[in-house]
Amino acid sequence: MTTRYEVCTVKELPPGERIIVEADGLSIGVFNLDGEFYALNNACPHQLANLCEGRITGYVTSDEVGEYEWERDGQIIQCPWHHWEFDITTGESVFNPHKVRTRTYDVSVESRSVEEGADAAGDGKVPENTTDPTEETSEADQTETYGTTLQGDEPPIETYPVEVEKDVIVLYV
Amino acid sequence: MAQHTEPTEEDSSGKLSIIDTDVHQTRADDEEIAAYLPPRYQSIGVELPGRMYNNPGGVLREDAQTADGGPAGSTPENLRTNLFDLYDIDYGVLTGDFLTVSLLPNRDYAGELARAYNEWMVEKWLPADDRFLGSVVIAPQNPEQAAELIREYGQHDQMVQVLMNSVSRGGYGEPRFWPIYEAATEMDLPVAMHPSNQGAGMSEPPNAVGYPTNYFARHNAMPMLHIGQLNSLMSEGVFAKFPDLDFVFIECGFTWVPMMMWRMDKDWKGLRQQVPWLDKPPSEHIIENTYYTTQPIAEPEKPEYLTQILEMMHAEETLMFSTDYPHWDNDDPRYAMPKMPEPMNSRVMYENARELYGL
Repeated sequence: MTTRYEVCTVKELPPGERIIVEADGLSIGVFNLDGEFYALNNACPHQLANLCEGRITGYVTSDEVGEYEWERDGQIIQCPWHHWEFDITTGESVFNPHKVRTRTYDVSVESRSVEEGADAAGDGKVPENTTDPTEETSEADQTETYGTTLQGDEPPIETYPVEVEKDVIVLYV
Repeated sequence: MAQHTEPTEEDSSGKLSIIDTDVHQTRADDEEIAAYLPPRYQSIGVELPGRMYNNPGGVLREDAQTADGGPAGSTPENLRTNLFDLYDIDYGVLTGDFLTVSLLPNRDYAGELARAYNEWMVEKWLPADDRFLGSVVIAPQNPEQAAELIREYGQHDQMVQVLMNSVSRGGYGEPRFWPIYEAATEMDLPVAMHPSNQGAGMSEPPNAVGYPTNYFARHNAMPMLHIGQLNSLMSEGVFAKFPDLDFVFIECGFTWVPMMMWRMDKDWKGLRQQVPWLDKPPSEHIIENTYYTTQPIAEPEKPEYLTQILEMMHAEETLMFSTDYPHWDNDDPRYAMPKMPEPMNSRVMYENARELYGL
């Protein structure tokens, strides 16, 4: 059963910003990445810290030992506890192959008119980025050999659909 | 490789085979090695930093002197009688007692001393018994010359590894040491480190809080040397840069290995952006690229604690038996080791070393 939540107007959440909302008893972070909206459960799968309150950052890669490349600027959320990094657009852990995945939620921008009782039609653009932890089973099993605290059957953090409905950001939980 | 015995796990008497990965042959007199120095150092001879820390009982076993009262380990016969024949050891990796060359500020002299040592090995020790395996000793403060020594002496059939002091100025992961690893990779030799006279010469403090006061404290602190070196190799990306190169950590304990696996893996998850070349958990590099030797074996309150640690560190892939003969704290292969299940037992006593050294 999906419930519709109005988050705020598009103007109230400019690119690069995030807002934490309560929806369906959950704390959820809604992010504006250059006009695209994404929502993540505000709980890190590690120790359940407020993941979405961490730094919005980028991703460092390396083609050669001693050299650094800066990628994905503004698309990574770093948990304020222990600094695990997650891809805001998918909820996936950056340090795969551990295959920790945080749950993301769809967010849309809709018109204020929906407040007047219109159906939450949206535009049908529900991102296909929700997660199924079972698809990562094989890698998750491997993590057991590393003695990590997080095992494959830990609950992932959900992603939720977000729509823009006539300048209002709408979250479906 | 010279073949002494068929590489089977058991000999005809049913006894498990043993490879000893830390045997200290030594010189009766400095002149044995000084003879191989170039003319410009003949007037100096062998001048190494003196000891800053002294063991009240001495370092060499007093019950193991040579027949004519020479230092234990100073003749091939002494090694045969007290070690190889006594315990039926198939191969022993000779690690000497000359790694103090790394504590000398004069890079050229240190490098020439290392060359003289290797020449002494090739002339005196390796021909004496085909169970004797050699280590190419280098002066790591002179990396280019060290690489030359590796390429030259590494060609000898019985030379099975590169060996350097666990004490260095700056961690061994730093790129200035990489010529050593390039040469070792080229020669297909693992790189080993073993502590020697740490604290003396131009050594950094052999303890993370400065210079310890006495030999007791310095001896207790030995794991810190290898924790520091492993940390440096990991963070600087040596295992990523040289994925086929193996490192051997001799005589600084191993019970800390699980602790470093867990700590590094945990930190990697949160601090990966500083070491982006580590594309898998550090513990995997530890299991794949590093080896540890057993002596001095840990003797915990309950023997099963040690067995658990062996499992935690994947001992069947990472641990190799060593005696440290003829030093005061050497281990007896008959009595020192805990009971290990198979195949862990045979891998620790023999197989890991056989695979690593290509025996």
